[in-house]
Amino acid sequence: MDYLSADKVLIVDLGTSEVTEDDLSEDLVAEKIGGAAIAKQLCEEHADGNPIVISTGLLTGTLFPATAASFITAVSPVTGKISHCPVTLKVGLEIQYSGFDYIVLKGASETPVFLWVHDGIADVTDAADVWGKDVWDTTESWRKTMGDDLIQTLVIGKAGEDGSDIAQVCCNYWASGDRFGFGKLFGAKKLKGLAFRGMGLLEAADAPEFVELSLDVLEEIKESGLAGTHGIGDLMAAAGHPEAKDWLAPIVHRHSACYNTPYATNTFVFLDADPKQIEETDNPEPGFLVTDMGALLGFHKIGLSAAEACQCLKACARYGIDGAAAAELSLAAGKSTASEIQESLLGLSGKATVAGAGTFSPWCPVQPLFDAAEEAGGDPSAWWERRMAVSYIFGIHPIFAAMCPEITEEDLLEVAGIGTEIEFAPETLDKAIAGLTG
Amino acid sequence: MGIKIDALKCTGCMACEMACGYHRDDGFALLSSCIVAYRTREKKDYFGVLLKREEDLLIARPEGTEIRRLGETEEEADSGKEQDASAKPMLLREACDLCEEMEIGPMCVKFCPVNAITEE
Repeated sequence: MDYLSADKVLIVDLGTSEVTEDDLSEDLVAEKIGGAAIAKQLCEEHADGNPIVISTGLLTGTLFPATAASFITAVSPVTGKISHCPVTLKVGLEIQYSGFDYIVLKGASETPVFLWVHDGIADVTDAADVWGKDVWDTTESWRKTMGDDLIQTLVIGKAGEDGSDIAQVCCNYWASGDRFGFGKLFGAKKLKGLAFRGMGLLEAADAPEFVELSLDVLEEIKESGLAGTHGIGDLMAAAGHPEAKDWLAPIVHRHSACYNTPYATNTFVFLDADPKQIEETDNPEPGFLVTDMGALLGFHKIGLSAAEACQCLKACARYGIDGAAAAELSLAAGKSTASEIQESLLGLSGKATVAGAGTFSPWCPVQPLFDAAEEAGGDPSAWWERRMAVSYIFGIHPIFAAMCPEITEEDLLEVAGIGTEIEFAPETLDKAIAGLTG
Repeated sequence: MGIKIDALKCTGCMACEMACGYHRDDGFALLSSCIVAYRTREKKDYFGVLLKREEDLLIARPEGTEIRRLGETEEEADSGKEQDASAKPMLLREACDLCEEMEIGPMCVKFCPVNAITEE
């Protein structure tokens, strides 16, 4: 695979620490396109090793708008079937540039390990020194040990190590889209996480045309109804919770976007510093980056203040717990104060509700957002499942896909063809989606 | 003509960095960009943009823009003062040429989704 690809599939046997590489077959890309569709096939091929597959979308890390997403695919402890969750922020980007399109992690290690992936090299590395540490300390430790503050991580905390039903794989310090208990799976494999860094180059077959089409789409987006909206607050309002936007507003510091994503889906709140301060604070840990609207709304529903809710989210992220599941199970258990909730987080068990069909993570609200409502028509659930499938194949940020009808399937097929010299017909996409959702 | 950056509008998405990388390498890469989103203070939510120009380094911080002569950041690093890790390799990169040979440049201006980067 010459274009938009590192042309490498990495197979890691955690039982033996053996690492092998395959080329990425162009025929496979012509059939499945990329991302979760190919990851599912790899998952099935290596089923005897109960694999976890990390994948990049066909367009991940390019100049096409919102190409921020990579994915985790595995048989979920929550759904019992192959499920997929997105990896966003700058982690999805770094996976793309670290040198592999797909990483298959099979088997289980006897001792704690992590996978260090950098510039086309992958090493199974001892993680005894961080086993038992929380998500924040682990990311900090790896960045310090490797001497690079820009290393991006997928990592579990105590919850994953202990086999919690609601353990989550986190991104750097923050919550991810893992609603499927993949953190528990990492823990069962004694896999503390993965660390990525890369300076790769992605070539497009016709780069000028690729860039021109990307710019056309971006300009349409900039003129759309999304202009001037940003952050978790506007997202909650668009999802039907305008009161939650006002509730959160007093502690909002700044909004930030995942790689090349025109809408800032993340909001940083200051809990131990003045949210209005724009100079760099002396406090090394002034607050928390809210990346999960559903989790925040879950704690809002319990009746906590915004600051208390975000403290709970921070505790979840440090332990590596799915905040949305924690909120739902805490409410069911009658916990009503922030301290009660935080004290009981590691003891929570049970299965939380998974909206949607269980194939794609409901971290992305299961509804059209902003102007996408008109496009969704009379069957928003079916629209959402297809929209997610498309975004998980091409590497589009799922939340942005749910709010931006300007990114069309036609545009994606065209730009993918321009970028790869492979002709992708609408029927190819239909088949790839059917394989992914069937 | 030059580049103006409003770091308070910036959402740290790195589109500018990738667009500049494309201008340099004719592919998608970040290694050669002369504009860089600095993002090493992740837990503090402190981010902005660095731009290497012919004579100096423009540092667009949330609280305002600062201009430093080239080499100054390395001298400070030698003195032990905390630096943006992403600032250090800027000396090795080409200075901004406003994408002068490209029809649709400057690329960072064109690809900024929130108009935080403009021409002046």
